[in-house]
Amino acid sequence: MSIDVIPVESAGAVAAERTGPSPRGELLHDIVRSKTFIVGAVIVGFWIICAIFGYAIAPHNPTAENLEAINKAPSSAHWFGTDQLGRDVFSRVITGARNILIIVPLAVILSTVLGTALGLVMGYFRGLLDESIARVLEAFLALPLIVIALTAIAAIGASNLVVILVIAVVFTPLIARTVRTSVLLERELDYVAAARLRGEKSPYIMFVEILPNVMAPIVVEFTVRIGYAVFAVAALSFLGFGVQPPTPDWAADIAANYPLVAAGYWWEVLFAALALASLVIGINLIADAVEGAIDQ
Amino acid sequence: MTKFISKRVGLALVTLLILSAIVFILGSLLPGDPGRSTLGPLAPESAVKALDHQYGTDKPLLTQYWVFISHFVRGDMGMSNVYHSAVRPLLFTAIGHSLKLAILAFIIVVPLGIFAGVFAALHAGKASDRLIVVAGGSSTVTPELVSGIFLILVFGLWLNVLPYSATPPPGASIGTQLYHLILPAIPLVIVLFGYIARMARAGTIEALGSDYVRTAVLKGLPRRTVIRRHVLRNSLLPTITVIASQTGYLIGGLFVVETLFHYNGVGTLLLQAATQKDYPMLEAGILTIGIVYMVATLVADLLYSYLNPRIRYQGLE
Amino acid sequence: MSELDRLREGRTELENHYIDELVSGNVSRRDFLRRGSMIGMSAPLLGAILAACGGANNNSPSATTSGTGTAPAAGAPKKGGTLKVATQAPSAQVNPLTVSDSGGLAMLNQTGEFLAFDNNLKLMLEPMLALSWSPNSDGSVWTFKLRPGVTFHNGQAMTADDVVYSLQQYSDPKNASNALSALGGVLLPSGVQKVDSMTVAFHLEAPVGSFPYLVSSDNYNAIIVPKGTDFSKWQSTFMGTGAFKLKSYTQNVGAQFVANPSHWGGAPYLDGTDFTFYTSQPPQILALQGGQVDVITQFVVQGAQGLLNNSSFTIITLKSSNHRELSMRNDQAPFTDARVRQAVALTMDRPGMVAALLAGKGLLGNDSAFSPVFPSTNTSVPQRTQDIAKAKQLLTAAGHPNGFSVPLVTEIYQEVPALAQVMKANMAKAGINANLKVETQTQYYGKSTIGNSDWLDGTMSLVDYGSRGVPNVFLTSTLTSKGTWNAARFSNPTYDSLVKQFVASVDLQTQRQIAGKIQTLLLQETPLVIPYFVDGLTASKTNVHGLNPTSISQIYLDKAYIS
Repeated sequence: MSIDVIPVESAGAVAAERTGPSPRGELLHDIVRSKTFIVGAVIVGFWIICAIFGYAIAPHNPTAENLEAINKAPSSAHWFGTDQLGRDVFSRVITGARNILIIVPLAVILSTVLGTALGLVMGYFRGLLDESIARVLEAFLALPLIVIALTAIAAIGASNLVVILVIAVVFTPLIARTVRTSVLLERELDYVAAARLRGEKSPYIMFVEILPNVMAPIVVEFTVRIGYAVFAVAALSFLGFGVQPPTPDWAADIAANYPLVAAGYWWEVLFAALALASLVIGINLIADAVEGAIDQ
Repeated sequence: MTKFISKRVGLALVTLLILSAIVFILGSLLPGDPGRSTLGPLAPESAVKALDHQYGTDKPLLTQYWVFISHFVRGDMGMSNVYHSAVRPLLFTAIGHSLKLAILAFIIVVPLGIFAGVFAALHAGKASDRLIVVAGGSSTVTPELVSGIFLILVFGLWLNVLPYSATPPPGASIGTQLYHLILPAIPLVIVLFGYIARMARAGTIEALGSDYVRTAVLKGLPRRTVIRRHVLRNSLLPTITVIASQTGYLIGGLFVVETLFHYNGVGTLLLQAATQKDYPMLEAGILTIGIVYMVATLVADLLYSYLNPRIRYQGLE
Repeated sequence: MSELDRLREGRTELENHYIDELVSGNVSRRDFLRRGSMIGMSAPLLGAILAACGGANNNSPSATTSGTGTAPAAGAPKKGGTLKVATQAPSAQVNPLTVSDSGGLAMLNQTGEFLAFDNNLKLMLEPMLALSWSPNSDGSVWTFKLRPGVTFHNGQAMTADDVVYSLQQYSDPKNASNALSALGGVLLPSGVQKVDSMTVAFHLEAPVGSFPYLVSSDNYNAIIVPKGTDFSKWQSTFMGTGAFKLKSYTQNVGAQFVANPSHWGGAPYLDGTDFTFYTSQPPQILALQGGQVDVITQFVVQGAQGLLNNSSFTIITLKSSNHRELSMRNDQAPFTDARVRQAVALTMDRPGMVAALLAGKGLLGNDSAFSPVFPSTNTSVPQRTQDIAKAKQLLTAAGHPNGFSVPLVTEIYQEVPALAQVMKANMAKAGINANLKVETQTQYYGKSTIGNSDWLDGTMSLVDYGSRGVPNVFLTSTLTSKGTWNAARFSNPTYDSLVKQFVASVDLQTQRQIAGKIQTLLLQETPLVIPYFVDGLTASKTNVHGLNPTSISQIYLDKAYIS
């Protein structure tokens, strides 16, 4: 999994070029009209519909086994073929959207909330508090995803909750770092000094004064992280952490059926991989549109 | 300058210490046990205890941690609890493998990414620019799982042109070794391309808008020369940052690629160490990656500030 | 005096008893060969007896195989060449005392040898470092006569001192050897006694009729090493008596061996062997298909469908006792009622499972560890089949007319997660809803003791058990009242005493009789479900011959050659 900085240009550009809070309405308008947003929204929208209505619209029950018809190639009866237990791959791909579309937003919301809080504290107070938290966060950044995941599984047991927590642990330091950079710039501005002079307490300044003005990079981080979260969830599912069989899930199905590629049964893996890739691209297109609009 | 370096090194050491402590805490939460992983799940618990005692792996974890740290700072990485041979050769071999893969990926992606980024910046706002930005952004979040599977299907199953096992026969020449690494490097290239292209693009746009470039153009210098002399250097700066920040991932985080393409890198080593609770291997592995990451980021920051005078004199970290 | 009478002279009471069984037709020729070899009758003797008993049989006991072997090649074996083998990477140090994983154990027998060899292709125990062996009257003392003229790779001659040292180390509880899983409770170091420079006697703690298996290749740790060997350093020399010597061993990478020209069986045909280590199966399949290796030592069907039914490859199939066990907590509701347990067993579509999950490469299981591959298995016990109607009846009678929900925990290993899903679907037909929890092996096994292990504590738990030469350890450890692997918490005094009798009996007929009683008891009580036994599969290019694999993932290459 790649863990990294967000494009530096966003945070800096936002802070440097903004003269005041953008009118929200105009922002939304810009976003919605861009072509990339439309394409992205269509893709993601499609998968959201599958996540909600998948079980109703799928042609077959995704967990219905048929031992007489295992590993069958795509045909008119089964558009994407069947897997090693005779289940309809098309139905599993459609219904598989649900799991990842539940875990990913929750994980990213959690990391954003935690990361923002930490970033505000670090950026506002600076000094020893900032430095110590930064060191701990940096240490967590250097920790491989695997070790975090295995430990969490050991402590709590494998489940969707664990996957969410693991991703939160991995993303919070990154979001915190970005928010911190923005806060460092904000705190030098006049309105913060004014608030201090008025005698406002620190939590008020942080959450009521500064926070609304750093929302832009936070929103960008959020949308970008959603894409990475899909990446991370896929890696964890590949290793067997997360949803239990026979629940359909793209990455878990790839992991379970990957050995069969050597036997030539490509359909059991290809379609799930395409679904995953399309979701990732769709999310990225939306993130890109949001970022582009904020940059204006 | 020296003050800057020593401050950074000092901070890095603090982080590493905290890192080692975190690994110690996490390690104590991990299930499994070296005696058990050696003897297997069906061995009687008495045998497992006897083996653990024989190899000293039943000592309190705090003792093991202290012994490990006190040796590690002197360069002694101890013995693997499971393989009962020195950790260092095993770890360094794995790092060597991971480095070869990483370097090959870099050799491919850095020129590709920079070229794409500069090209996009020069055509900013046009369709080709949008395409590169979107493609770059999407490729960055494409899981290696997905790209790896596609590559194996296409090149391994259907076309049969490139070797899909990254491990060459023993004693192979460096050329053969690199040939085997082409396929596994591609998922990495896909992931890194987006970063580098976007960073290069941002840096180039900024440079193109800067005063000295505008002056140079007004002075009548050909655009090509301007780009070569001023712009490229600026587009390289963010790239350095990206490369450095990716070292942790590239060395220790590639277990998916290593599994798909059968390659003994550090990712697999760490996964094994964590599953078998091979405490010395786990600590040594993570700390070494941590050190590599710190050194890489320090070097990158130094290079960055050296090449970009504006940063050198500001206190922003 | 007839030829047969002549052969009978000088035979022990037990051996004569076997000959009686053969003559009266109580034992098939094939089983006679098996049992005879197990109690130490030599191959020529067995062949002679068979010939004397009439029937156009040849002298060499190769008439029966447990499966398909390598394709016979035209002409004599070709000398030379290095065989490239793909195998599972050893997961820990290769130390004969502690090895317990399939990758590690396959390394031991490349250079190390045992007193006897459990030939899985012929289902017979053959002499290896011991030429012959015999029990005393009740099977509590076994005397082994060693093969003369055997040397270790360092030139040292093998004598009883080395055998005594080796077996004492393996049976010593202080050493915590993995071999204790076979020898624990059976043999103590004090029981290993040198009789003379070529004879060793084993004085057992209790009579064990199948003791020779416990010092054969079946007990994969028990290779004979020079007296005084430091086992923790064995990996650097691989010192043994085998047909190959160590050239080099590199952790996580591979191992290379060269031919030992002074091997007691004659120099091997190959110049050497080259093992590459893999941590998963797909790259091995791709390597064989791509020609980078000549042999895959062991593989499972999942993902290997491209190798089966493919004329470019030779597949060796070994029937085995490798199985999957679904245990039910007999001490927890609803499984306290035997009717409920029987109902679960009756939902299982065993032939469907073998066809779908094993591509037919397996044997039906009848809810006991008695695989058809054991001669002691009583084949007159009827095979349980799927009967959903009966299952529903039993559930209603037991007070669960609408079924019930129950958690089922299992491990990520080979086809086991897929089997769990098939079982879930089967049980659902009778209204039983199994909630699956698939864990990594570390998580699943935990501390492997009752109270500390999902494997042993789960209300329903699905586990795998590797192949063994005799069913003893399955019968004792999984189902006796004090059994350490008793996940079902089965406690039945009749069963305990039957098993004790079974283990002690030396005579095949008696064993079969007792087995029949055990098998029937288990069908009635159904503490657990064993749906099938998994065949051991080895794959090679068609020009490779003479491979001798075992279902516990060893591979013997001393007679292998490339044509």
